[in-house]
Amino acid sequence: MPLLERSAWYDIARDTNWTPKYVEVDELFPPDQSDPYGIPVAEWETFDEPYKVSYREYVSVQREKDAGAYSVKAALARSSYYEDADPAYLSMLKLHYGAIALSEYAACQSDARMTRFSKAPGMRNMATFGMLDELRHGQIQLYFPHQLVSLDRQFDWAHQAHHSKNWAAIAGRHALDDVMMTRDAVTTSVMLNFAFETGLTNIQMIGLSADAANMGDFTFSNLITSIQSDEARHAQIGTPVLEIMVRNGRKAEAQQAVDIAFWRIHRIFAILTGIPMDYWIPLEKRDRSFKEYMTEFVGEQFERQLLDLGLERPWYWDIFLEDVETHHHCQAAATWAWRNTLWWNPTGNVGPRERAWLEEKYPGWNDTFGMYWDVMIENIRAGHPEKSEAVGMPAMCNMCQIPISNKGGTVWQARAYQLEYEGRLYSFCSTVCKWIFELEPSRYKTFNTIADRMYNGEISPNTPESILQYMGSGVISQGGRDAHDLAWVRAYDEPGATPRLVAGS
Amino acid sequence: MSSLAVIGRLEKDAHTRIIDVDTDFTMDQVVEACLAPAVGYQARHPKPGAMLRVRPTTDTDDADPFPRSMTVAEARLRHFQQIDIYVSDD
Repeated sequence: MPLLERSAWYDIARDTNWTPKYVEVDELFPPDQSDPYGIPVAEWETFDEPYKVSYREYVSVQREKDAGAYSVKAALARSSYYEDADPAYLSMLKLHYGAIALSEYAACQSDARMTRFSKAPGMRNMATFGMLDELRHGQIQLYFPHQLVSLDRQFDWAHQAHHSKNWAAIAGRHALDDVMMTRDAVTTSVMLNFAFETGLTNIQMIGLSADAANMGDFTFSNLITSIQSDEARHAQIGTPVLEIMVRNGRKAEAQQAVDIAFWRIHRIFAILTGIPMDYWIPLEKRDRSFKEYMTEFVGEQFERQLLDLGLERPWYWDIFLEDVETHHHCQAAATWAWRNTLWWNPTGNVGPRERAWLEEKYPGWNDTFGMYWDVMIENIRAGHPEKSEAVGMPAMCNMCQIPISNKGGTVWQARAYQLEYEGRLYSFCSTVCKWIFELEPSRYKTFNTIADRMYNGEISPNTPESILQYMGSGVISQGGRDAHDLAWVRAYDEPGATPRLVAGS
Repeated sequence: MSSLAVIGRLEKDAHTRIIDVDTDFTMDQVVEACLAPAVGYQARHPKPGAMLRVRPTTDTDDADPFPRSMTVAEARLRHFQQIDIYVSDD
């Protein structure tokens, strides 16, 4: 039977708006879940998908793509790749799967909300496919690490992390709940599809894909490249939404949503991506530095997209650019020092050669972040590896739930930005996290960081052992240790190695 | 006497840290409590041999230090209040 061309039936098939007779429009589309901005339905009906696809086409294309990813996986499994892989690289996979797999399911629910509550038929249509995308991404990123659980129990965190009270999982959930799970369909689209997926998923999916291919892991490289091709398509839901908001006098609200979400996700992705790129991937396998990726994919591409839509760079752009050169270095050192709290095994991997690379990519690294590593390396070389592990607790940000850190050394920028609200003192890592809290304190005020939970009785007794148990470390799997069992420190004993590179140390 | 957690900001350290102190600690004892989990682990003493003082954290880093013998209770430090532990020129 001959089939009509898609263009002959597409518009009429997806134009599913109608005039309700038995309920009011606001009952069908409650403003707080649908569109709190009051943009007329006629305006939403102008939503035109930048990328059109039919269900038949979707199934055909995605089946082929997924089959390709599964066949590469099968080939690599036969080669015993993972049994012989660099332990630090495996940590990158553990971190990725733990952080991302169930986040995809969360994103599926976000798209489902758009599918149900958007007043724009075209948006509902695209979100339906987005929902299917995220469902597939969740399943495939649970299936791939599942085979590795027998190799290393830490891979079980792919399924466990989002259900745990591990501090890193809490940080991820807090951001994702804010951006994807707890807002109306329109704002969710701006935050998720535009700020998150258009703005930042490239860095995780394309950047890490290149490093994975260099490491010979074509399974992971192929997998995340395939996922990113879906992300790039459904991310486009956000563009017409923004155009409609700007055209209807809601530019300020759109800008604010972008600014909140972009910062919140950046704080997470810098750890997820920046640390593996700049520390864990062996020097000769690194594609580019995190900063170079961020400059190209975010600093240039995303900024251009914002301006093209009539929006502006977030007000904190200079702070963001500074953060790109700071945050992940702080957390690389901190997560390594507090490694027993992690579900992965980070490597320190800051030997003399790696430090030279870091200094070249991030001028001043030795005088700031390097000073932190100096003390830990000296302890190891002096025969006290136990003193390379942190004691006590860092202060945690009441917004991003990440340790409050910044440059140490002579520039000394580490500080908490504090705010008193309803008699409680809140601490933030930055003026941006503090700004987000101040926009809507009622949204955030009751949430407790891991540090808060130590002092409000939720973690009892308040001992290192019970804190680790609370976070699932030693319960779901063994907690983190140095991936290379500190072997990288021996590079300082080699002839010609400069043991201490810090000026004035 | 009761315990209190403050946020210690040790000069040159990359972290702010949660420090348990007793309300009858003097500021010199607060300094010691702040140094304990940091110096020798991931931080150095900001200036070996120099005196360290405690002051409330401000945007301009120029608040007057608390008297060395003042107690935590007398300084009215609050739960999770941030304090600087810094090299004093005095």
